[in-house]
Amino acid sequence: MGQFIQPFLMFGLCVLGGGGVLLALPRGGKSPQVLGALGAGLVLGLALLVLGLKAGEQHPVPYFYIFSFIGLGAALRVITHPRPVYAALYFVLTVISTGGLFLLLSAEFMAFALIIVYAGAILITYLFVIMLATQAPEEGEIEALADYDTSAREPVGATVTGFLLLALLTSFMFKGLPNVPPGQAASTEALLSGMPRLVEQSLAEHGLIKSGEHVALDAGKHAVMTDAGVKIEGAAGERYIAKSEWPKDLEVTNIQRVGFDLLRDHPGTIEIAGVILLMAMLGAVVLSRKQVQMDEEAKRLQALKLGEGGGA
Amino acid sequence: MMTLAQAGYPAAMGGATLGHYLVVSAILFTLGLIGFLTRRNLIIMFLCTELMFQASGLALIAFGRYHMSFTGQTFVIFVLTVAAAEAAMALALVVLLFRRRESLDAEAWQDMKG
Amino acid sequence: MLTAIGTMVTAAEPEGGGSHWTLTMIVVLPLVSFVLCGLCAAFKVKSKLPAWITVASLAAAFVFTLMAFMNAGPMIAAAGAEHGAEHAAASAEHAGHLTVHVFDWLNFDWGGGKSSSGRFDADFGFYIDGLTLLWMLFVTGLGTLIALYASEYMAHDVGLGYCRFFAAFSLFVLSMSCLVMASNLLMLFFGWEGVGLCSYLLIGYFYKKPAAVAAAKKAFIVNRIGDLGLLMGILGVYAAFGTVQYDKVFEFIHKGVDAGGHPLTTSSWIPVILPLLLTAGAFGKSAQLFFYVWLPDAMEGPTPVSALIHAATMVTAGVFLIARMMPLYTIDPAHTILTFVAWGGTITAFWAATIGMAHFDIKRVMGYSTASQLGYMFAGLGVMNSAGGAAHVFSHAFFKATLFLACGAVMHGFAGQLDLRKLSGVRKLPGWKIVAAAMFFGALNLSGVTFTAGFWSKDLILASSFEQSPAIGWILLITAGLTAYYTFRAYFRVFEGPVYFEPGDEVHGHDEHEDHAGHGHDGHGEESHAHDGHAQGHGHGGEFHPHAPGWAINTVLATLVVGCFAIIPLVGFAEHGAWVGKMVGASSAAMHGGEEGHGTFLGMNPHSVMYYVSSVVGLLGIAAAWWLHLAGRTSAAHANADKLEPALGPIVTWARHKWYVDEFYDAVIRIPLKFLSNIFYLLDQYLVDGLVNLTGFVPKGLGRLIRPSQSGELHGYALGMAGGLAVLILIVLMVAR
Repeated sequence: MGQFIQPFLMFGLCVLGGGGVLLALPRGGKSPQVLGALGAGLVLGLALLVLGLKAGEQHPVPYFYIFSFIGLGAALRVITHPRPVYAALYFVLTVISTGGLFLLLSAEFMAFALIIVYAGAILITYLFVIMLATQAPEEGEIEALADYDTSAREPVGATVTGFLLLALLTSFMFKGLPNVPPGQAASTEALLSGMPRLVEQSLAEHGLIKSGEHVALDAGKHAVMTDAGVKIEGAAGERYIAKSEWPKDLEVTNIQRVGFDLLRDHPGTIEIAGVILLMAMLGAVVLSRKQVQMDEEAKRLQALKLGEGGGA
Repeated sequence: MMTLAQAGYPAAMGGATLGHYLVVSAILFTLGLIGFLTRRNLIIMFLCTELMFQASGLALIAFGRYHMSFTGQTFVIFVLTVAAAEAAMALALVVLLFRRRESLDAEAWQDMKG
Repeated sequence: MLTAIGTMVTAAEPEGGGSHWTLTMIVVLPLVSFVLCGLCAAFKVKSKLPAWITVASLAAAFVFTLMAFMNAGPMIAAAGAEHGAEHAAASAEHAGHLTVHVFDWLNFDWGGGKSSSGRFDADFGFYIDGLTLLWMLFVTGLGTLIALYASEYMAHDVGLGYCRFFAAFSLFVLSMSCLVMASNLLMLFFGWEGVGLCSYLLIGYFYKKPAAVAAAKKAFIVNRIGDLGLLMGILGVYAAFGTVQYDKVFEFIHKGVDAGGHPLTTSSWIPVILPLLLTAGAFGKSAQLFFYVWLPDAMEGPTPVSALIHAATMVTAGVFLIARMMPLYTIDPAHTILTFVAWGGTITAFWAATIGMAHFDIKRVMGYSTASQLGYMFAGLGVMNSAGGAAHVFSHAFFKATLFLACGAVMHGFAGQLDLRKLSGVRKLPGWKIVAAAMFFGALNLSGVTFTAGFWSKDLILASSFEQSPAIGWILLITAGLTAYYTFRAYFRVFEGPVYFEPGDEVHGHDEHEDHAGHGHDGHGEESHAHDGHAQGHGHGGEFHPHAPGWAINTVLATLVVGCFAIIPLVGFAEHGAWVGKMVGASSAAMHGGEEGHGTFLGMNPHSVMYYVSSVVGLLGIAAAWWLHLAGRTSAAHANADKLEPALGPIVTWARHKWYVDEFYDAVIRIPLKFLSNIFYLLDQYLVDGLVNLTGFVPKGLGRLIRPSQSGELHGYALGMAGGLAVLILIVLMVAR
């Protein structure tokens, strides 16, 4: 069993990518940002290409590459763009392409939830705050970028640490991944037996059971499923409908499965999540209601700024 | 290495292996981390943490798909919840801090050291 | 409390019924008064309102006690008559008693409630018999009179201090009622500690005066030692009988078995250790033997308090305890502990009398006299004459209260002057007639002059003593003579002889909220001014005018003197204590009798001859006092007694210094303890603190080492986190195979 990418190749790519990102980071004044961005993008493409080559006979569909490339490129722009508004907009792009990757993983519900919640709600809040916290330029002036936006802080150390972490994470993959066996999906029958009314409705719609007949229930109010199929009770006695006779649409959809997992297996976690949200809401309300005074330093700066404005 | 497509799940897969997704996730995470470490704008720093959330969500769903378990997706819901809560609190704090110092620079708060 | 009244259940004979409500009111009224006085303090009442509340409540409580006495009368009379007739017939459970359950107080149940050993019950309830009623009559009666007296005596302190005084006063009566009426030992202990607390509060009433604070602490601590014995005794009773309820304990004792069914007389500890422990408590509270030291110092409190608590009622709680638990004491056929009690009382009586003879402070003299008379009471109990002991408690309560209140009137009038060398001929001053008469009649009683109440009750004790043990009898007889001497010494020095007085060096109000302008009598400012110039200007020619007592003090003194005479038929003219004897006979303190002593007084029957002997001894003491302290005395400071002093050598000085007992305790107990505590202090300072400081220093040093990493830079922290994560992953990578 060959590895999908040579470790040394991966490490080399890490080093190259690190260099590219380093160059791409904003640095105040003239900086080789474009060059770095191009380099980083190149490395990214290269890495994905290698991934594709090593995928063997089963080439991933192009969508995987398209979404990955767009997402990672947009992420690179998020961290390098000096203007916060643009960074936030690039982040939307990342979210959307991640949603695409979710679709490829047949997590449709999560894909749309992600886009709605992130791109729709959270990002809007970010944009609001960005606009709140940025001074509008004077009329006729070109908007001045804040110093803390245009210059990165300790880019070398950060990039080295980041890509060291990346290298370590990927080498973890080389080591551990072959030992991870793929799982088996929970059988459709087991899930369906928990939904006797859905089964009954579907069977009735396709005329497989007559009126007066209904799906037999066991003690736990689950539909009785045996190897012979689903058990039907009625005035005429008992009979089984084999799986092969079932209508095509008697299936458990992705959303139903997620719902099962969420509500049947993790009810307590939902409660906790609700409490966390409530607390966050209360916290946000309390924090933003608070009247804040400018502290001494800020007042001094403000006075200085006003004085300069008056003098000019 | 078994591909995800071999698992027999009927939905379209695109033939990518688990490793593909994990590499993308790791790169995304690293980019977020680097952004958090280098940028000085508080808002951008929080955006970078959101990037890292995305990366972890992607990894979770890929693993879940690989194991044919839906708990991965369930977990992403919770990650989303926490991200939303974090965004609400963090942004409220950022607004407060900005009102106080008229600056979003993280280094402006250096004197809060213990 | 109100609901509790409604749920009262009786567990006794029907003839006692109907009095439960009145019984409960006896306890409720002082409580109400206490709460109201507290409210007065909260509302800053600046009038005599708290005093009137207290007087009214206590008077009502006295009326209720009388009603209870009338209700229980037939029962008591029946049992008492039986006792009086045969003297030996009435035993504890034949004596009529009434048990009233007010509410469940402590009610524990464990071990499934299978046997009585798995239960602990202490109801809030009353055990009413002759002893209880006797005690309650003089507690509430005297309490009312003394509260009335205090309303005038404490008048200089109207305000917060006045409220404080009367709140504590009410609380004291409440606690004393609980102590006396308790239906079990635990409730008795509750009242016992309550009176101890009130005693502490009232001795330390003048809390700005160091001597008062020290005296309060002394009383409290000495009492604690005795209380330890009492508590252990109560636990012992529970261990032995599985209950602390009187009626059940007495039932066991009557059957002669303990809770396990074993005979009591063969038990190694029940007949001796239990009474001994209870005796320790009783001696502590009643200032006997080694414990007497607190009582004279307790005279630092306001005089009404000395009269009520430290002479009439609280200190007799020890006598009450022993009388109440008398069945327990009589288990032992040899009466070991009773003999011990008798000797303890006798020694204290003599010892305190000798000190009283030498002291110059009239209130201290009365204090020592109280300890001495309490000794008589214990001796009475110890020689198997509980009726005599109780009779002496009863008569002593009256005449000692009279004496104290008369002393208090003197102290009040002469700005705190108590030195009998600086006062003389007070009787001849205008307005002091009643005080002098009260002092005189009180002194007659205390001296045991023929036909006074004190004479009858003392004779009962003396006669029984000679019966049981002539040694005790002789000591007590000598003490009677000494008592007569020191009592009349005080009377002759202060009230008779040439008129002379010096004001005291202190005013009795020590609180700063004293109201000079509102003072009805001579202003204190004037008094202290007089004191400033008193070096040559003393005597009645000076600026100081003693203020004679007002109507309240005079009324109370007159009432008490009348009371002293009125009680004579209650205690006298009968061999077994007349009415008091009947009351005691109808109680748990009733003596089984049959133990008639064989001792004689010089070959004669002590009961018949003692009347004459003690009269003679008393008169001899008075004559000695007259000759030594009145005859030919021309000045306040000097009398014939001074000539005697050199002849007696150091004895007088020793007695004057209380035989150096306090110094002895100091050397034996306090100084070693202080030394020990110093050692422990040093250990604590250097060893324990050193270790604590070391443990504090280590993290401090470590913290200093890593402090620079906390720069406050957000990015530094984040970088550290990321780096740490990288290192962790590296480690896992290398370990995982």
